[in-house]
Amino acid sequence: MALRTGAPGSAATAGSGSALARGWLERVVLSEYLVFYLTIAYFLAVWPIVPEIATWSSAYNMLTDMLPLLVVAIGQTFVLIVAGIDLSVTSIIAMASVVGASVMTSDGGYLGGSALAVPAGIVAFLVIGGLVGWFNGFCCTRLGMPPIIVTLTGLMFLSGAAIWYTTGHSETSSIAGLPRAFVLIGQGSAYGLPNALWVALAVGIVAHLLLSHTVFGRWLYAIGINRKAAEISGVPVGTAILWTFVISGVCAAIASILFTGRLETGTPVLGQRILLDIIAAVVIGGTSLAGGKGKIVWTVGGVLFLVVIDMSLKLLGMSLFVVFAVKGAVILFAAGIDAMRQRIVMRG
Amino acid sequence: MRKIEPKVSRRSFTVGALLAAGTAGLPIMVKAQEGKTVALLFDSLVSPFWVSGIEIMRAEAAERGWETLEAISDFDDNRQFEQVRAMIEREVDGILIIQTDANAVIPAIRAANEAGIPMVHFNRPPAESDAYSVAIQADNRAIMAETVQFMVDQAQAQGGTYKACILIGDLGDVNAIQRRDGFFDIVDQHPDLIEVVARVSTEWNADKAFAGLTNALQANPDINFLVTSSDFLFPQIEQALKIAGKWHKRGEDGHVLFGGFDGDAGAYQLLVDGYLDADGVQNLFLEVEMAFGAFEEMWAGNKPEKLLLDPGFVITADNLEEVRDEMWGYIVWQQKQ
Repeated sequence: MALRTGAPGSAATAGSGSALARGWLERVVLSEYLVFYLTIAYFLAVWPIVPEIATWSSAYNMLTDMLPLLVVAIGQTFVLIVAGIDLSVTSIIAMASVVGASVMTSDGGYLGGSALAVPAGIVAFLVIGGLVGWFNGFCCTRLGMPPIIVTLTGLMFLSGAAIWYTTGHSETSSIAGLPRAFVLIGQGSAYGLPNALWVALAVGIVAHLLLSHTVFGRWLYAIGINRKAAEISGVPVGTAILWTFVISGVCAAIASILFTGRLETGTPVLGQRILLDIIAAVVIGGTSLAGGKGKIVWTVGGVLFLVVIDMSLKLLGMSLFVVFAVKGAVILFAAGIDAMRQRIVMRG
Repeated sequence: MRKIEPKVSRRSFTVGALLAAGTAGLPIMVKAQEGKTVALLFDSLVSPFWVSGIEIMRAEAAERGWETLEAISDFDDNRQFEQVRAMIEREVDGILIIQTDANAVIPAIRAANEAGIPMVHFNRPPAESDAYSVAIQADNRAIMAETVQFMVDQAQAQGGTYKACILIGDLGDVNAIQRRDGFFDIVDQHPDLIEVVARVSTEWNADKAFAGLTNALQANPDINFLVTSSDFLFPQIEQALKIAGKWHKRGEDGHVLFGGFDGDAGAYQLLVDGYLDADGVQNLFLEVEMAFGAFEEMWAGNKPEKLLLDPGFVITADNLEEVRDEMWGYIVWQQKQ
């Protein structure tokens, strides 16, 4: 009898427990900060295996590792929100790196040794980023070409051009001899924090304000959700999209400044292997490839997630093939969770 | 009487299993602390030279009772810098690095210097800087010069004049520059015998090497003296020469005097088969020994020279059996048989 009375009671408790667990799981999965929860869960999971990951110096390394990636991913977020994609960002990083370095280098740079070397070099970085971004945007909006084709060909062209440019400006495959003042942007610190962090913070805050507190930001979401409807509503669709590519190009150029300063070298292969990381970070954060959805803070989460994974695998001393496999699996897992999230939302 | 079932929930089982696995792993972690731990940071494993290199390093480290941690940067200088910092975080005893770019590695050397961890560059020295590290490098220029000298001697013995082609590596790699210079050191002394009609820039890329050599052979069908800066391009060279109808053994009509550099298994096979005339060999075993020896020196508080040279040697059909045991490619070749 006791068994009989106990059974339904247990079932009810189990049922309510299971409903509670499901509710909790749904809340977590539906949270817009899911990627931060995943990062914490992953961090806690690897902590016993690689305790070094929980040290201050590791945290500092992770922070400085993520900053250039974050800056370029922020630019990519703008393009993805309008349902575009910018595959040329890594070659912008490379091209800007060698052009900027060729202006500043003490080994025969255009302004090598001059007081104007650093400011002119930085302007050169930004101009390259802005110009390539403008060209990408022009082709996509005014000529009606698909972003994937425009930016993919840009990627190929600029990768080759960067190598060609370097051979004309250096005896070796890279350009060294950069001014100390420039190198400090990527390596130095101010008020106890890395200079790169101040740069990334400035970029992140401006980008966040642009997206969430301006009409321009609202235009971008409207375009991403329904381009036709946005057009009919009077949104200057072409101009707005063009500007997203300019922003993406400039962000890539700023990332290039951080990378180049960090390595003290302008190199035509800089950033060539991080395209997948950039797009993955933005998408894992929650920005939709279909457009209309995305936040800077989500991108921060996506970048942090990837950097924590990367750092743990580096500390484990795993081979690159394992790193790729694990990273791929984690990205697939995150994409699976995103799909589950969509299903839950659709179910209401 | 009620039977008491053990109440092990799935969660407690998982936690228990993880704890058990962690405990089981403890002896391994403790053992790792007994010897030295050295990080092997490669930029790629794209050629047999590097694959054999890492295998010899693993074996040599195991023999010395050292643990190794490995990472490959996939030609990404920034990633390699991050890997160096991660290895510093792991408090390894030494970092052996094969960097992609001689300039971009300087911040990594400085980071290792600051952490007091010895760094050894394997096969590729860094650019000049105030940072301290030790580089082990083959004496590329001398080995290549010796290789080409042997080919010139052959050419003089055969008589006639020669149209030469050289496959040059990535000019950002000091090894490629030194090998090119070694080639010209000898060829320039014999303007009446040899005219260099093609310089193919391969950038250490097999596809570019094939396309470049094919074009060179079309433009200069009389090329009969060929030198490659690396053995890993042999398959592409063989293909291009076959297409041009120039793939002939020593002693056959139309044989192209052919020289290589590295000493891989393919070189040994081609020497045996009679297609290759001479090969400059980097003594990989010696280089690994020199690299690990440099770590021991630095751990003992000494400061070895910044650049240590492997003199290498030239292998030809004449001395094949005599010196092949020192050729790393021969060991690989034997394992394949």
